[in-house]
Amino acid sequence: MEDFRKHFSVFLTFFTPTAGWLVLLFFVPLGIIWVYSFGENISLTEIKTTWTLDNYKRMFEPQIITLFWRTVWLSTLSTIITLVIAYPISMVIATASNKAKPWLMLVIILPFWTNLLIRTYAMLNILGTRGRINDVLEWLWNLGDGALDLIGLGAFDLLGEHFAPIRFLGNNSGVMIGMIYVYLPFAVLPIYSSLERLDRNLLEASLDLGAGQWRTFRSVLLPLTSAGISTAAVITFIPMLGSFLIPNLLGRGKVDMIANVIERQFKSANDWPFGSALSLFLLYITFIILAIQAFANMRANKGRNDG
Amino acid sequence: MAPTPIISVHDVCKYYGNFTALEGISFDIKPGEIFVLLGPSGCGKSTLLRIIAGLETESKGDVVIDGTDMLGIPANKRPVNMVFQSYAVFPHMSVEANVAYGLKLERLPKAEIKAKVAEALEQVHLSQFSHRMPDQLSGGQRQRVALARALVKRPQVLLLDEPLSALDAKLRDAMRLELVKLQESVGVSFVMVTHDQSEAMAMADRIAVLKDGKLRQLDSPTALYKNPCDQFVADFIGRINMFDVSSHTRNGDAVQFDTKTLGTVTLPASLMPANTRNLAIAVRPERVRVGLEQPAAEMIAVTGTLGDVAFQGDSSLVEIILDGERSITALATEAQAETLMALEIGTQVYANWQPKDMLVLPENASE
Repeated sequence: MEDFRKHFSVFLTFFTPTAGWLVLLFFVPLGIIWVYSFGENISLTEIKTTWTLDNYKRMFEPQIITLFWRTVWLSTLSTIITLVIAYPISMVIATASNKAKPWLMLVIILPFWTNLLIRTYAMLNILGTRGRINDVLEWLWNLGDGALDLIGLGAFDLLGEHFAPIRFLGNNSGVMIGMIYVYLPFAVLPIYSSLERLDRNLLEASLDLGAGQWRTFRSVLLPLTSAGISTAAVITFIPMLGSFLIPNLLGRGKVDMIANVIERQFKSANDWPFGSALSLFLLYITFIILAIQAFANMRANKGRNDG
Repeated sequence: MAPTPIISVHDVCKYYGNFTALEGISFDIKPGEIFVLLGPSGCGKSTLLRIIAGLETESKGDVVIDGTDMLGIPANKRPVNMVFQSYAVFPHMSVEANVAYGLKLERLPKAEIKAKVAEALEQVHLSQFSHRMPDQLSGGQRQRVALARALVKRPQVLLLDEPLSALDAKLRDAMRLELVKLQESVGVSFVMVTHDQSEAMAMADRIAVLKDGKLRQLDSPTALYKNPCDQFVADFIGRINMFDVSSHTRNGDAVQFDTKTLGTVTLPASLMPANTRNLAIAVRPERVRVGLEQPAAEMIAVTGTLGDVAFQGDSSLVEIILDGERSITALATEAQAETLMALEIGTQVYANWQPKDMLVLPENASE
């Protein structure tokens, strides 16, 4: 690796296609978007770059602030729930026998082999008012209602007159369920790998010194897997911020996240400059989050070395 | 009257599926002794230590610590503390915080914790490192942290799992002495697991020799060396020259042993063990003399050629080759070794020793 300077032609041969690809398909479009974000629509199809800041000022309009706020809290809450679910799953895999481990990993990774669109449609089928979850709930309701009839309480309608299906679609809950489902594997993998690296003796030492299971979890396990948890948080939070398909389908167009509004600017609203500004703003937020994480990691490492 | 044991292990068994890790282990540990569990890897010694600590549960039997049956009592409620083989020093806590960890759980006042931590660090000579993080310490220092962390809890018994195996040879020798001194100053019993017989011999008050999950012999180091109960213990503790016995006949006060290497050997019947299955007769290298002249008739002697002489400083190990594949090892003093080293390899020599220096050993005394 270090002697790429010595074999510069070889280095160039391998580097150029990759770099060219990246420049052509990533940096150039990003640059165009960046320039657009300072432009104005002058006709239906023409955009003039006037270096105006109007598109960025519109960010502070109440409805856009509300939109960002909703995007951030939906993603934050979903990330937290994802981590809470992912941690015990990772623990189960990390403590499973060597025979069971690859199979459990397979179960976690399996959804990756299916297209996101198909998985999201499957979620529609499960979460709908006539979906599988409500089927089960209705069956339970009928069972309960029947039981009440049987013991002579049928007339009071204790469980309501009819079965009322729970609405998951078209509201925040459906979007969150969808995001948690899709990004759960991303959270499991880093947490699992940090648990796997952990010396089990450390947990035993904590028990041996008189700590209970909960104290050991809080004082030893959590701090020693914090790097995995923070990676899991970032790796789920960032794509959640940019979710488009899930709020679009599971939110039934009623739960807008930032990506849905961006899409509308480029299509139905035909306001490319504003769409560009929104896109870049999302990108900046991502950068800030990554910077915070890098900074936090740096401090954690530095703290350890200075002691 | 013997003092009441601090730990009493009674008929402890541990099974993993069909595999028997420990079977019928019973012994008492006295207050204030260094008790060593010795055996080759896979003999179940670490499992036994972990059962005493409460980190593993016995399949059968009881562990009684200080008069209380430990059945169902978890590791965090037992009056013992452990020093792990990997030390298991918490990497995210400073030396001080590591040592204070167990005390904080006892909800002691802060000032008392501070004083106890300082005292414990003093004891292991780590006072000036109290604010360091574990990754800034050497292996030996990390081990001291683990020691201080366990000792500060004032356990009834300190459990040590292969405490010296991760240290380099020089440090290991120094640490042996230091551990013994530490034990004398704190006065608690140490139960130590090791596979290194020289370590066990140097440190232990008593040694339990384990093999394949069974207790072979429990005795003081000198007794184990002088009177091993069977061939395994004799071979495991120190060096020994062993000769298989094909048959033996008793003649009043004497027993005749037929061996391939030594021919027929007559030994006093008092040397006979209770168990006489697959006997072997044996002699320690330091009892074997090597000479150029035919030894006296009462000596047991065998003719061979001189092999390698391995210089060890104050003594040398001399190899006497008998018939190409078999050999006898003798331990020669400095002066003897000098004479032997002057000889050419292949010179005919007589290895000889007194009949009373021989041991008669069954293959496995407990079978």
